[in-house]
Amino acid sequence: MNEERNSSVLGGILRRGYAAVFEENWPVWLGGVLLGIMSIITFAWARPWGVAGGLRNWGDWFFNLVGLYSRQPESPWISTNSILTLGLLWGAFSSALLSRQFAIRMAPPLEIVKGIVGGTFMGVGAAMAGGCNVGGFYSALSALSFSGIAMMVGLLVGAYLGLRYLYWELEHLPSGAGGGALSEKSEGRFNWRDLEPYAGVLVLLAAVAVAWGYSLQAYTRVGGLLLCGIAFGIIIQRTRFCFVRGFRDPFMTGDAEVPRAIAISLMISILGFAALKWSGLRGEMVYVSRAFWFGGLVGGIVFGMGMVVAGGCGSGSVWRAGEGHVKLMIAVVCFCLSTSLFKAWIRSSEALTAFMGNRVFLPDYLSYKGTVIILFFILIVYYLTATWNEETDRFTVEI
Amino acid sequence: MVDDIKADQTLDCRGLSCPMPILKTKKAIGKMNSGQIIEVLSSDPGTKNDMPGFAKKGGHEYLGEKEDEGFTRFYLKVK
Repeated sequence: MNEERNSSVLGGILRRGYAAVFEENWPVWLGGVLLGIMSIITFAWARPWGVAGGLRNWGDWFFNLVGLYSRQPESPWISTNSILTLGLLWGAFSSALLSRQFAIRMAPPLEIVKGIVGGTFMGVGAAMAGGCNVGGFYSALSALSFSGIAMMVGLLVGAYLGLRYLYWELEHLPSGAGGGALSEKSEGRFNWRDLEPYAGVLVLLAAVAVAWGYSLQAYTRVGGLLLCGIAFGIIIQRTRFCFVRGFRDPFMTGDAEVPRAIAISLMISILGFAALKWSGLRGEMVYVSRAFWFGGLVGGIVFGMGMVVAGGCGSGSVWRAGEGHVKLMIAVVCFCLSTSLFKAWIRSSEALTAFMGNRVFLPDYLSYKGTVIILFFILIVYYLTATWNEETDRFTVEI
Repeated sequence: MVDDIKADQTLDCRGLSCPMPILKTKKAIGKMNSGQIIEVLSSDPGTKNDMPGFAKKGGHEYLGEKEDEGFTRFYLKVK
C-alpha cells in the first residue's frame, strides 16, 4: 500500500518536472543565461559555438558533389562546424517533439519567396562577416574580436531596413494572409501529437548513441560537440530564443525582453572567453576573423535584412526548421548554398579577402581588463537604451 | 470564458510565421475602435509567447486563447 503511494508520488513529481521542462514556456532571460554558460562550456571543450560554418560545410559538400568545386571539403561527419549545426537541428527537433510543437508547417507563396531571398542574403552576409549572428556577432564578441561590434552595428541597421520592407509589404502586398495548408490536423481518432514525446525521447537517445559511437572511434571531441549542439538546440527551442528580436523588436514593438537577454548572455560568455584566453588555455586569435570593419559592418547589414525578411537568423532559422517550418527549411538551404558560393568567391582573391578587413583582437590595444570593461559598457548601454525605448517608444516605427 | 467571446473582426494568420502575425495584428488594431475585440488565428507556436506581451505593451486587454485543430485563436480587446 505504502509502496504504491510512494510510486504515485514519484510519478507526480516526474510528471510535474516534465511539464515544467517541456510544456511550460521558459523565460527568455533564462535562455540568455543558459546560452552564455553553454557557450563557455563549448569553448572549453573544443571550440566556440558557431552555426554558419556548418551550413557552409554542407553547401561546400553539395557543390563538390555536383562537380562545381574540385576541392573536397572536410567530411560533414567530422567537421566540427557541421557537427555543431547538426546538433542544433537535432536538439531543436527533439525538443519540439518532446513539447508537442513539431508539425510540418506550410507557408503561403509570398512567405516561401521571403525564405529564399532572406536565406540568400543571410548566406552572403555571413560569408562577409566571418559568421552569422552567432559566429560573426555572439561568439566573435565573446572572443573579444572588434568585428563583433562592427557586426552588431550592421545587424541593427539591417534589421531596421528589413523591417521597413515588411511594413511596405503590409501596405502593398497584402496577399500573404492566411490559410497555409497544415499537416497537423488530427484525422479520425489517431492523434500523432500524443506520440510526439515518445518520438522525442527516441531522437534524443539516438543522439547520445551517436556521440558514444564517435568516442568509440576516437572522435570524442566531435561527439561532445554534437551533444553541445543538442544542448543549444533544446535551450533555444524551449525559450524560443531569437536573435532577430534583439535587433528588430526595438524598432517594431519596442519590446526589450530579448535585447536584455542577449546583453546578459554576452556578459557571461565574455567573462568565460576572457578567462580561457587570458590564462592561455585557448588560443588568443580563435574566432577573431578578418572582418573588421567592412566585412563585419556591411555583412551585418546584409545579414540583418535577410534575417528579418526570413523571420529567423542563423540559429533561429535552423531551430525553426527543426520545428517543421517549411519557409525556414528553405531559408536554411538557400543560406547553405549562397554562403558557400560567396565565401568561395571572396577566397578566390587575396585583394577581396583583404578588403573584408583585418583581424583585430581588442586586448592587443586595450589589455584584457580594458576590453572586458569596454564591452560590458557597450552591452549595458544596449540593455539600458532598449529598456528606455520600451518605455518611451522613441525608436519604434509606427505602421 | 474565451468560448463566449464574439469578435468584431477575425484576422487569419495561419501559415505565417514570426513576426507577421504580430505585425498584421498591429496593423488591424490601428483601424479598429476602442473596446472592439479582434480574433487572431495563428499556427505559429511563437505567437503564444508573443501575443500576451504585445497586448500588454500596447495597453490592449488580452482576453485569452483557445486551441483549435492545428492552430490557436487569440482574443484581444482594443485599447
